[in-house]
Amino acid sequence: MQPFTGQEYENMSVQIDIPPLLRHLTDGATSAKVKGSTVGDCLNHFVKLYPKTKRLLFDKDGKLLRYVEVYVNKVTTYPEELATPVNDGDEISIVYVISGG
Amino acid sequence: MKGITRKFLRINLSNGKIGEEPIAEQVETDFIGGRGFGIHYLYREVAPKTDPLGEQNKMIFVAGPLAGTNAQAVSRWMVCTKSPLTGAFARSVAGADFGAWIKFAGYEFILVEGKAERPVYIHLTRAACQIEAADELWGKDTVVTQEWLSQRHGLNTRVACIGPGGENLVKYAAIVTNRRTASRCGVGAVMGSKNLKAIAINAERNLQLHDPEGYKQLVKQQIQMMMANKGFQYHKEMGTTGNPENTSELGIFPTRNFRYGRLDDYEKLAGEEYLKRRIGEFGCYSCAARCGKVHRVTKGPYAGAHSEGPEYESIWAFSGPIENSYLEATIAADQLCDDLGIDTISTGNTIGFAYELYEKGLLTKKDTDGLELKYGNHKAMVALVGKIARREGIGDLLAEGTMRVAAKIGKGAEAFAINAKGLELPAYEPRGAKSLGFNYATSNIGGSHGYGYAPQEVFGAPFPRKVDRFAEEENADIVVFNQNNGAVGEVGIVCVFARGWFPQLYDKLLIAATGIDKIGERGYLPRVGERIVNLERAFIVREGFGRKQDTLPQRMLSEPLHTRGSPGEGQMIRNLDKFLDRYYEIRGWTPQGIPSPEKLKELGLGYVVKDMAQSQNAKAI
Repeated sequence: MQPFTGQEYENMSVQIDIPPLLRHLTDGATSAKVKGSTVGDCLNHFVKLYPKTKRLLFDKDGKLLRYVEVYVNKVTTYPEELATPVNDGDEISIVYVISGG
Repeated sequence: MKGITRKFLRINLSNGKIGEEPIAEQVETDFIGGRGFGIHYLYREVAPKTDPLGEQNKMIFVAGPLAGTNAQAVSRWMVCTKSPLTGAFARSVAGADFGAWIKFAGYEFILVEGKAERPVYIHLTRAACQIEAADELWGKDTVVTQEWLSQRHGLNTRVACIGPGGENLVKYAAIVTNRRTASRCGVGAVMGSKNLKAIAINAERNLQLHDPEGYKQLVKQQIQMMMANKGFQYHKEMGTTGNPENTSELGIFPTRNFRYGRLDDYEKLAGEEYLKRRIGEFGCYSCAARCGKVHRVTKGPYAGAHSEGPEYESIWAFSGPIENSYLEATIAADQLCDDLGIDTISTGNTIGFAYELYEKGLLTKKDTDGLELKYGNHKAMVALVGKIARREGIGDLLAEGTMRVAAKIGKGAEAFAINAKGLELPAYEPRGAKSLGFNYATSNIGGSHGYGYAPQEVFGAPFPRKVDRFAEEENADIVVFNQNNGAVGEVGIVCVFARGWFPQLYDKLLIAATGIDKIGERGYLPRVGERIVNLERAFIVREGFGRKQDTLPQRMLSEPLHTRGSPGEGQMIRNLDKFLDRYYEIRGWTPQGIPSPEKLKELGLGYVVKDMAQSQNAKAI
């Protein structure tokens, strides 16, 4: 797989809503504009922008952590997850599906 | 035509009278069931200023309309009563099978009133209900009590009972069923005050549903949706043990009696560490999650200790408050609380408070029976659990909870008492998750996370909208939403961890079960949730609660949070008043926090208006 540069999707823009857990790793930013045609592309671009977030998104094999769920326009992408296509103007939400009593 | 009859059982322990009563159709329509029935009957039957531990207080053991069916994660149950810890409304939720068994016995709820002269237990079958002597059981822990009753009445018996904590009127005593507990607000002490050791139910599945075939189809859909949900799968695997890392990273894991937002070596509390000690799992009635993870200690001073749990709150309760990362001690303390029947949250919080009093010199070794309450000393923590439940030595004082201990000690101790309305705060730091914090302040039961949990702040859930967890009055709408939504879920007493089906199927399941078609109308369920919260509010206003009591511990209002490198350093609650103004405005309450006549009438609670007009707070406006 070629490293993602973002140039492939110059005309596309997707917004990622950054969850509270990641905001101290994004200099306080609460959202980010990324490019890509799939959720995987967009998250890779996001990690490129904010490398410290990687450990709280992906496991060592590059799969989404088992307690990270990604929504596009408030609809879950599970089980397709990273392969889910996105369109210009879509909004991605990252939710930590951990249970807390 | 609904084709079903819903009723409850009234048991008077003073005169031995037992009788069934129907639930009026209007009450069913307005409140649906569960917590709705709980507050409806409590409001009407428990007069203002009733002594919570007196004969006149009443207890409602209620299941939801879906309990006992094969729908998943809907068989929880709760106790509604007046709390001896707070003097406010109490709603305390538990799991296991007991909720299903209430329904199998033929009832929506069991209302217990009066006081027995000697220790008794209630034995209930579908055919009969008897009040039996329990002298032999008094003093026994919850494990022995349940075994004794199962041997006597058969394996098909399900029991809700108290341990020494409830008998000794520990202000935060719990009611235990299997290894699950209705823990909060001291409901076990109310049971103890009535000399009621246990309720034992023998029954077999026998349910009436309005539309059995439709219900069956909905359950099939529910199971498919649940199984296809990522959150459900993770919950099934880990229970709630994965959360300490999350809240530590967020800087909201209360540490050293809520001075810090993170334990330095929180990795030692990680879910993976608990996984290494896991020996089994336990599930509630008709729930595939089986999220109760059983842990055993195999070495060290607590070898042999084992517990169904600890779950997140209890992991915190016996680590964060005293800064302990030796999780074997946490497991041991959790086991003791369940065996002896006391709430882990209030117990752990109160112990953390005692450690700070010791640090400040307000308690000395002379007061603590020789125990050295230095942070990290887990042996003293475990010893205190037993002392509290048995009211031995220092335990007799600590059994009163942080609010009363502070009042008794004086000398500024109140500054370190971490409670809201007298209920000890749980495992989320309010300065770093402010909607949750403001929920503690305004909750009608006091410092409870479950009353209005904020998944937006803790997990990033973007529903109904995104939330800045450090914002204050800007999030008043979210606090209202979370509290009302919590009440909606608790008319069916649905497990909060049941994911992937709730928004799509909950109303349909309720209609198929009850035949109340109105539930399907747009906005109907949120209105029921709002009605419940308002009636609970009216209950506590009648008791003298108002704006002054809608507050947080001094620490949250005056000391900056320290997060040891996690985000949120320096945060504090800066403008409680602005928040309350906005919150009351959205709720339709007066600036003193009293439901307005217009709001009450709009919700069909016109009969409450005169009570509000007569309340002490209303006069003070």
